[in-house]
Amino acid sequence: MNKKKNIMFEVKDLEVSYGSIKAIKGISIQVAKGEIVTILGANGAGKTTTLRTISRLHDSNAGTILFKGEDITKTPAHKIVSMGISHSPEGRRIFGILTVEENLILGSYSQKSTDKKILNWVYDLFPRLSERKRQLAGTLSGGEQQMLAIGRALMSRPEMLLLDEPSLGLAPILVKAIFKTVKEISQSGVTVLLVEQNAKAALKLADRAYVLEVGKLVLSGTSKELLASEKIQEAYLGKKRREA
Amino acid sequence: MIKSPNKKIGYSVFILGLVLFPALADPKWLAIGSTFLIFSVVGLSEDIILGKGGMFNMGHALFFGIGAYTAAIANHTFGIPILYAIPLAILIPALCGIILAGPIIHLRGDYLLVATIGFNIVFLQLVENDIFGVTGGPNGIFGLDTPTFLGIDLASPTAIYYLGVAVLLLTFFIMANLDKSKAGRALHYLRLDELAASSIGINTRGYKIFAFGLGAGIAGLAGVLLAIQYSAVSPEAFNFMQSVLFFSIVLVGGSSLPGILMGTFVMFVLPEIFRDFATWRYFIFGFAMILAMILRPEGIFPARFGKIPDYFKKG
Repeated sequence: MNKKKNIMFEVKDLEVSYGSIKAIKGISIQVAKGEIVTILGANGAGKTTTLRTISRLHDSNAGTILFKGEDITKTPAHKIVSMGISHSPEGRRIFGILTVEENLILGSYSQKSTDKKILNWVYDLFPRLSERKRQLAGTLSGGEQQMLAIGRALMSRPEMLLLDEPSLGLAPILVKAIFKTVKEISQSGVTVLLVEQNAKAALKLADRAYVLEVGKLVLSGTSKELLASEKIQEAYLGKKRREA
Repeated sequence: MIKSPNKKIGYSVFILGLVLFPALADPKWLAIGSTFLIFSVVGLSEDIILGKGGMFNMGHALFFGIGAYTAAIANHTFGIPILYAIPLAILIPALCGIILAGPIIHLRGDYLLVATIGFNIVFLQLVENDIFGVTGGPNGIFGLDTPTFLGIDLASPTAIYYLGVAVLLLTFFIMANLDKSKAGRALHYLRLDELAASSIGINTRGYKIFAFGLGAGIAGLAGVLLAIQYSAVSPEAFNFMQSVLFFSIVLVGGSSLPGILMGTFVMFVLPEIFRDFATWRYFIFGFAMILAMILRPEGIFPARFGKIPDYFKKG
C-alpha cells in the first residue's frame, strides 16, 4: 500500500473508559491524507467516544493519537482545533439562538478573523444556508441544522474533519444530499473521518472503513471489500444470507 | 452593553441618583446606601460566575470573606493602612478562586454547587477557629483603622459611600467590557453548550477558571469596603446563607445589571426600610424566589443575549 506513506492521522491501541466501564478497548486506526474513512457500528459500540477522544473532548486511558506525526494524545481540545482537526459533534449542537451566519462565524473562533472566502465556500457547498443566513439556527429543519453543523466545523479551515453521524434522524434524500456534499468537501482536500450507523450510505461514500463492536475493531478494509462481505451484509445492510 | 437611548438615560439617571443621594439622606440612610453598593458589587461578581459562566457557585460569600479578612488582617495584625491592603484583598481571593476552581471546574451543575458549599463551610470553620491566631475567632476582628488616603481622613459615612460608588462604577465598567470581550463571548457560548463551544476551539476550562478568578477578585474588593464600613469583620457575614442570597440575587433578578441591582435592593435594602419586618426577610424573599422562578424562570430582568460584536465579523 503506497497510502502508508502519507498517513496523516493515526490512533494506536486507544483505550477509553467512563469510570470503571471500558468503552474503547484498544483500537488502532489510520487515515491517509485526502481519504474518507468511516467507522461503522451499532449504538453503544464506541463510535462517538472514539471521535470525542480524538478531538480531546474526552480523555483517553491508554494509547496514542498522532496527527501529522505529532502526538496529540494530551493536547487540550481548543488547541486541536487550531492544529487543523475540526469536529462536527453528534446531534449537531448548533447555537439555536444565534443566526445561521453567526453560527458560522463562531466556527472561525480559533482563527484570527473570519475568512470571507471560507464563508462563501460554505455557502456554495450548502446554498440552503446562504438563503437562510439571517434566520435563527434553532428554526432550521433537521437537515439544515446538520448542514450548519458541518459548515461551522469547516470554518476553522480544518485539514481533517470529524463527522459524527451526520445522517442522524434525516430523511434518506437529505442523507444523500449531505453525503454528496461531504464528497465535495473531501475532493477539495479535506480528509474526512466519518462515524455512522447508516452503513450503506457511509460505505458508498468512504474509501475505507472500520467496524466497531462494543469497543473493539472487528473488521476493516476498503469499502468495496466490506460491501461485499457477508458479515457486513447480514449485520448492517439487512441482507439475508443466501441459502446454500 | 448600553445601546438604546432609553437604557442610556436609565443608567445616567441611576448614576446621578447615586451621586446625589448623600445630599438627601440622613446618616442611617447613608449607611443603608453603602450596604446596597457593597452587596450590589458582590451580586455582580457572582453574576460573572453564575450568570455569565453558568457555573453553580453556591459559595460566593467565601471570596467576599477572604477579601474582607485579608484587609482586616493586613490592617490589624500587620498595621498596613486599610486602603493600601486593597491590591492584596483583590489578588488573594482571585488566586483562591483560581486555585479552588481548578480541580472542581469540570463538575456540572449540582455537583459544582455542593463542592462550592463545601469550600464556604471550610472557610467559615477556619476563621471561627481562629486559624493562625489572626482571624479573631467567632467574634471576628474589631477596631480596624479608619481609611486615610494621602493624609485625608475618609472615615465619614459620606466618604465610605462614595468609595462604594466608585467601586460599583468600576464593576459596571469591567462587566460592560467583559460583555464585549472575547472572554465574555466565550463564556456565553460555553454556558449555552459546552461541548459545542469546545468543538469550535473555545478553551472552556480556561475561561471558566478565568470567570471564577475575576468574580472572586471583585467580591474581595467589596469585602474590603464591608470591613471599612463596619471597622470590623466577623464570620457570620460570610456564612452559607449569605452565599445563598448572592446566588438568589442573580437567579431572581436575572443575569443583567438592572436585575441584580433590583435583587440586591429587595434582599438587603427593603429589610432595612421595614425594620419591623426584618426578621421576616427570609420569609418574604423565600416566597419571592418561588414566585419568580414560577412566573419568570429567567429572572425578573433576563439577560438579553447580545449579538456577536462587530470586530468578530471583520473579514
